[in-house]
Amino acid sequence: MVKSPRLRDSLWMLIAAPTIWSLHFLFSYVTAAVWCAKLAEGASLGGARTAVAMYSAAAIAAIGAVAHYGWRRHCQETRHPHDVPTSHGRQRFLGFAILLLAGLSAVAVVYGALPAAFIASCH
Amino acid sequence: MSAEDEAIRRDQEERLLQAWKTPTGWRYWSEVNNTQVGLWYMAAAFSFFLFAGVLALLIRVQLAFPDNDFLSADKYNQVFTLHGSVMMFLFAVPIFEAFSIYVLPQMLGSRDLPFPRLSAYGFWCFVIGGVFVCGSIFFDAAPKGGWFMYPPLTTRFQEGLGADIWLLGLSFIEVASIAAAVELIVGILKCRPPGMRINLMPLYAWYVLVVGAMILFAFPPLIAGDLLFELERMLDWPFFDPSRGGDPILWQHLFWIFGHPEVYIIFLPSVALVAMMVPTLARTPIVGYSWIVLAAVGTGFLSFGLWVHHMFTTGLPGISLGFFSAASVAVAIPTGVQIFCFLATLVAGRVARTVPMLFVSGALAIFVLGGLTGVMVAIAPFDFQAHDTYFVVAHLHYVLIGGMLFPVFAGIAYFYPLVGGKMLSPRLGRIAFWLMFVGFNVAFLPMHFTGLRGMPRRVFTYPEGLGFDGLNLISTVGAFILAAGVLVFAWDVVRPKGRQPYGPRNPWNAGTLEWLAEVPPDKPWGVRSVPVIESRYPLWEQPDLVRNVDAGRYYIPDAEERKRETLVTSVLDAEPEECLRLPGPTYLTIAAAASTGGVFIFSTFHWWWAAAVSGLLGLATILVWLWTGTALVPEKPWKDVGMELELPLYRSGPESVGWWAMFITMLGDSTAFASLVFGYFFYWTVHDDFPPEGAGPDLAWPAVAAVCILGSWLLTLGARSWNREGRGTAFTVALGVAVVLAVAGAAALLIAPAGLDPTSHVYPAIVWVLMIWAALHVGLGVVMQGYVLARRWAGRLTAEYDIDIRNVALYWHFAAATAGVTVAVVAGFPLVG
Amino acid sequence: MALRIASPTGAVLVVLVAACDGPQSALDVAGDGATRIADLFWGMAAGAAVIWIGVVGLAVYATRVRPGEHSGRTAKLLLIGGGVVFPTIVLTGLLSYGLLLIPELREPSDGRLIVSVTGEQWWWRVRYETADGRTVELANELRLPVGEAVEVRLESRDVIHAFWVPSLAGKIDMVPGRVTRLSLKPTRTGEFRGACAEYCGESHALMAFPVAVMEPAAFAAWLEDQHALAAPPSTPETERGARLFMAMGCGSCHAVRGTAAAGTIGPDLTHIGGRASLGAGILVNDVDAFARWIAETDHVKPGVRMPAFGMLAESDLRALGQYLESLQ
Repeated sequence: MVKSPRLRDSLWMLIAAPTIWSLHFLFSYVTAAVWCAKLAEGASLGGARTAVAMYSAAAIAAIGAVAHYGWRRHCQETRHPHDVPTSHGRQRFLGFAILLLAGLSAVAVVYGALPAAFIASCH
Repeated sequence: MSAEDEAIRRDQEERLLQAWKTPTGWRYWSEVNNTQVGLWYMAAAFSFFLFAGVLALLIRVQLAFPDNDFLSADKYNQVFTLHGSVMMFLFAVPIFEAFSIYVLPQMLGSRDLPFPRLSAYGFWCFVIGGVFVCGSIFFDAAPKGGWFMYPPLTTRFQEGLGADIWLLGLSFIEVASIAAAVELIVGILKCRPPGMRINLMPLYAWYVLVVGAMILFAFPPLIAGDLLFELERMLDWPFFDPSRGGDPILWQHLFWIFGHPEVYIIFLPSVALVAMMVPTLARTPIVGYSWIVLAAVGTGFLSFGLWVHHMFTTGLPGISLGFFSAASVAVAIPTGVQIFCFLATLVAGRVARTVPMLFVSGALAIFVLGGLTGVMVAIAPFDFQAHDTYFVVAHLHYVLIGGMLFPVFAGIAYFYPLVGGKMLSPRLGRIAFWLMFVGFNVAFLPMHFTGLRGMPRRVFTYPEGLGFDGLNLISTVGAFILAAGVLVFAWDVVRPKGRQPYGPRNPWNAGTLEWLAEVPPDKPWGVRSVPVIESRYPLWEQPDLVRNVDAGRYYIPDAEERKRETLVTSVLDAEPEECLRLPGPTYLTIAAAASTGGVFIFSTFHWWWAAAVSGLLGLATILVWLWTGTALVPEKPWKDVGMELELPLYRSGPESVGWWAMFITMLGDSTAFASLVFGYFFYWTVHDDFPPEGAGPDLAWPAVAAVCILGSWLLTLGARSWNREGRGTAFTVALGVAVVLAVAGAAALLIAPAGLDPTSHVYPAIVWVLMIWAALHVGLGVVMQGYVLARRWAGRLTAEYDIDIRNVALYWHFAAATAGVTVAVVAGFPLVG
Repeated sequence: MALRIASPTGAVLVVLVAACDGPQSALDVAGDGATRIADLFWGMAAGAAVIWIGVVGLAVYATRVRPGEHSGRTAKLLLIGGGVVFPTIVLTGLLSYGLLLIPELREPSDGRLIVSVTGEQWWWRVRYETADGRTVELANELRLPVGEAVEVRLESRDVIHAFWVPSLAGKIDMVPGRVTRLSLKPTRTGEFRGACAEYCGESHALMAFPVAVMEPAAFAAWLEDQHALAAPPSTPETERGARLFMAMGCGSCHAVRGTAAAGTIGPDLTHIGGRASLGAGILVNDVDAFARWIAETDHVKPGVRMPAFGMLAESDLRALGQYLESLQ
């Protein structure tokens, strides 16, 4: 049975937004940890905070794109409920789930950026 | 129905019965069917639960009074270590696997999971490892380093074998957990009934999918940690010894990268149970299906960003604490979403007062408090006080008992009729509930105050006059009330029910497929025919479904060849793809579990020869198992599966379940490898000179290794294509050369660090570990190459039937990547740094 | 504290407060850090109580009070309002506050006084370092001047321990191979108790220490006394004790400054008689306790490295006890 690649993509898109969050989290943590262990002059976080801010902007933009994709999936079709036994129903469901996960991931990314906003030193 | 139809139906049932018959007598234990294995698994996990519960009571007796000497300090330390370890490793995670193995195929209208023998193997590993670990306390040899086993206490400051028993016994069980995870993930992705698109899956399946994936990424770091730990204990490689460059904090990272997702690995399946019960008990579909999927997936991800909140007091920089504090707070959002989905469903529906509902309500009341204290300890400053005190003991028991034990008990009360067709007693259920609920709160609510008043965890005693006395006595009383409730419940489960009449079929009037189960439950085939699904609650919304299933009007209603079969469908839309032949009863799984268990158990006692023999036996058993039981060439390419559909009996590549199993297993394996690489770079961050000046292996041997392994990999890929093209000679020559190159590559990997003494400093030690890890993977790749060569010679691998070579090629992608990264890190990084 | 009980809520509060005092209580505060954290706790606890009552109340309403059906719309609103919007707002506020507090609690003090504490199985090696560069080694006791920020440096010689004085501040682990730190700023005088919070082996439960917060002048005098050499024995009994001390080889592990005893494996005993407790916070400091400790060391503290001297006659034990007690 041949499936169009477009449809196959969407299960991976489900985890796209949280994956972006994971990368944001990992990069922020590693940057701060390496900064404090190797680069910090005195105990100032300086450059690491800028880096986290940049990661956050990039992550939010990427999650925005994922959310847009999910939104399109969700609204492209006529307004079926999500539990109809057709590929439309499945697509609408996945679109909505992608959208919700993008929302959660966006909040988590903002949370992940807060420490860099509030904490200025390596202590 | 005409008499002729009736006769056909009886013949079909007769043949199905022959195929799926459970062996009797002592051969019973060779069964591999999910129903039997699931039952054994649950029974074993519950036995371990009761054992660990008794340990908990010993703890409470000791702490009832100040300066008590009921248990000695040493005994107490063994008891609390084993209590935590057994509850986490031998009950909380396995009970989910056990229950999933039991019920998931039924929820998916499937006859079994795709790899029944793997489930059976996992079960036997679990029993052997579990008995080994638990038994140690009767020989005064139990581990006593806490369930987190922090070095250097456990590496250098404790006598005895306890730590080895913990490390090896539980590593063995972790392997079984990963096996179960692979099995369940593939089962959900590929063994759903036709029509059950991803948006119609029961929520339980969503949760198990998420949890399976979490196990793949959470358990391997611990296995990597265990490896480093055991190397330090047995061979004195100084990974955690600061006097030789090691760092005990690395263990904490590896342990908690496992340990925190573990909490959600325990919690989510129980939420999944609630998600199955609440709609039934409220007689309405779940409110917010997509929201629950969001919550499950979101929690799965976020739970990997929490691990350092167990390390808030280790003196890491404040900003690091901040990141983990943020993620720990964020994870409360999806958790709250789930709870409100259930509340909203309760509000929307008409709730029946039943024992399962009672336990679900109790779970909610307890878990919400645990969740709220969880948010408190996620705020790092508060954790500075609460960490390692009884406040956290209270918090974690509220979370685990409210989030896991009560839902599991609700689940037992709810699903019990599936097992024997009989109901539990509502009266005993209510008595058990109130004893447990009251006892639990009496035991654990005061602990919040005990902790804030300054009582640290893991103390075998405490002095009078600090304000701990009364609170502890109350907790002890509560613990016994809780235990009484558990006993009442356990009695209700095991009491003989010979004279009790069978309950009705689908007694709760549920909407999901597991309730197709027939009463009395004497049909071992699971479902009479595999239905086409068009709804999230097919039993509610698809009229005549039950009748048509029973009449064999759907797929595979027959077993013409008397073979066990189930349907394989596509991932997203569950379109039928294959009729999968399943293996039947065998002792190979027990033999394989016993011999692999032997490796771990004999190593504990340093009986190296016995361990080596056991390991070879294990390898041989597994090869026999694979040779005789997998990738069998069918007698005909296509089979009529009913409903005018013909499906292939053999599929390879990404359409086959075996390919997915290999892929998923190797994801887990790569996670373990990534953890070792993380270790390398972790040491780089804690040292000013890492690698130490002039310490590294030279470039030459690693380069030779990389070239050889790359060649072996390419030749394996070539062999795959040549096999498909029917070019047997090219296939044989390519694999022959590939074997030689791989052996040379593995040898070069091990020669490269030959001049480095791994006991002298952590740098040579970590280099050696990476090299050995890569070499072992290449070595296993050699075994596989030899295996497919033999398969082709034996005619079991052909141009058309080529699962083996495709899976081996897939393995080699990962093996080559592992070796490549190893060489890049070991030989390349010193050049950069 | 004079609280007039005017309502059931008040009564509950009184019970709660009564359940929170004690020498080792994180809520019976006597230091800056502990105060900030206790305030945070009370705020969170109040919020948690309200939320718990709300959620459980809702469940009771749905299952018991009005178990009938409600509209799907109500349910959806409940899900989005209660499950998404409300928690996100509350958590954002709480997280921000918590993050702001981290640098405040972690800021090193510019203190003129540095106390190094080294965890060992199962006792505390303590070293005071004053601004004038003088150091003195003590053990198993912490005294601090009120109102002054003190920098505490934490190390371990064997396994991981954690330094925790709940009344003063949160805990920090003592990790072998690393130096961690903590600043303490006591706000009132009094007697408190610290304990090891990280499981550190067999007698983890028996690793505590008394903490005294003193007026600055009294503290300075005490610290000055600690620099002094040990008082020579002044009675026949203590003299016999001193001789026994040397004869039994105690000096190979313990130091008594001013005598030949200069061991560094065990705690410094120069002023042990003046400490508030024995055996790292587990026995009262008197002659009987000394005798018991020396004769049944492994019974009092299982697994301890010091051998028990149970073979000594009762009179010898008492003489040793008298001598050690005289080391004020």
